[in-house]
Amino acid sequence: MNSAHIQMLLAEDSASDGDLILASLAKVSLAEATHVVHDGVETLDFVFCRGEYADRSNEPPLRVIVLDVKLPKLDGFEVLREIKAHSRTRLIPIVLLTSSNIDADIARGYLLGANSYVQKPVNFEQFRETIRQLGLYWMTTNEAPPSKHLAERLRPAPE
Amino acid sequence: MREEPKVRERVDALVGFVEVTRDLTERRKEQERALSDAQALKAVNAELEAFTYSVSHDLRAPIRQIEGFAKILEEHLGDSLDPQVEHYLHRIQEGSQQMGRLVDDLLHLAQLGRQHAKPRITQLDALVDQVLTSLRAEILERGIICRVGALSALECDPGLMKVVFTNLLSNAVKYTRRSEQPVIEIGQLVTDGIPVIYVRDNGVGFDMKYVDKVFGVFQRLHRAEDFEGAGVGLAIVSRIIRKHKGTIWAEAAPDKGATFFFTLGTEAQQAVTASG
Repeated sequence: MNSAHIQMLLAEDSASDGDLILASLAKVSLAEATHVVHDGVETLDFVFCRGEYADRSNEPPLRVIVLDVKLPKLDGFEVLREIKAHSRTRLIPIVLLTSSNIDADIARGYLLGANSYVQKPVNFEQFRETIRQLGLYWMTTNEAPPSKHLAERLRPAPE
Repeated sequence: MREEPKVRERVDALVGFVEVTRDLTERRKEQERALSDAQALKAVNAELEAFTYSVSHDLRAPIRQIEGFAKILEEHLGDSLDPQVEHYLHRIQEGSQQMGRLVDDLLHLAQLGRQHAKPRITQLDALVDQVLTSLRAEILERGIICRVGALSALECDPGLMKVVFTNLLSNAVKYTRRSEQPVIEIGQLVTDGIPVIYVRDNGVGFDMKYVDKVFGVFQRLHRAEDFEGAGVGLAIVSRIIRKHKGTIWAEAAPDKGATFFFTLGTEAQQAVTASG
């Protein structure tokens, strides 16, 4: 697959929410740069270029991964922990996008290294605006993490 | 010499003990029954709250999807949209938005159930001022007269008490919408040495034969076209007052306004109730 232009990985198991998110991103021309995966295992396969994504090149790196918390197979927290555990992927910004606003979930997300936590608003106009802002911020305003080589040189001591 | 009295003591104690044991057993059984009833009730309540929480939480996504796709469909059809189709699409969006507000209110109510009141001495005047400030736009626009009497500093959870005043005062603002000169009064009485706070309005009021319904969840005494709302506000208020071991009641008459009174339990009162 040609993944050269993919900047955002969206892990969302609800097809309806996935469509609404893509429609919201399309308003700011960011849908084309977004790839949707549907469960925790597929998310990790994409990120680590394995399984059905074995042919994928890691360059250019993803600018952001947007994770739903309630994912099938492996949930968002497990996926987050895995991505943050590898030096090759730990610098990729991760946004948790979920309908939960329980303090314990928010705290858990940040403790596992999430860079942002966003609650899905129930009202669609607010939802669309939230997704637009999220897309614009992480795909245009925010400075992408440094290249793979720099990331590797910054590799911390083994845990 | 030293053992003999001990044995006698034991024998004496044993004789008396038979009687006492029987009494204690009965009593303990009662206590155990009461305890297990209380535990069962607590468990059922907790389960009910967890159920309400998860239902209202899980309903959020499909509600957003219905509203979202109706909106996107409307935008896709653009100028070619038949007015009748547009009308129906708006109805779908209004319906799902209304359901969204309802679910949010229900979620709020369920979250309240899990929250414990953290009481501290609170200036009620200051809370009322904050709430009135947040309602200022409509109060000024409609020329509503607000009379705020002196209120005590009482022991209560300030965050929860702000929710109480927000609901009572926004209701007063809402239900005086048809009054020629709306008047809202907030004040305090003292009955049997206990402070009673009240919020009074001269709005549409209600028939006292429905008074038992006003504090129920999803109970509404007015048509949605006349006065919007999901019927959750006063249920929230009543729940918060109960959390403070207080009581709430209302007096009203159709087209003559409504007054809501409440008390807050104090530590001393709770001690009296518990020992009584």
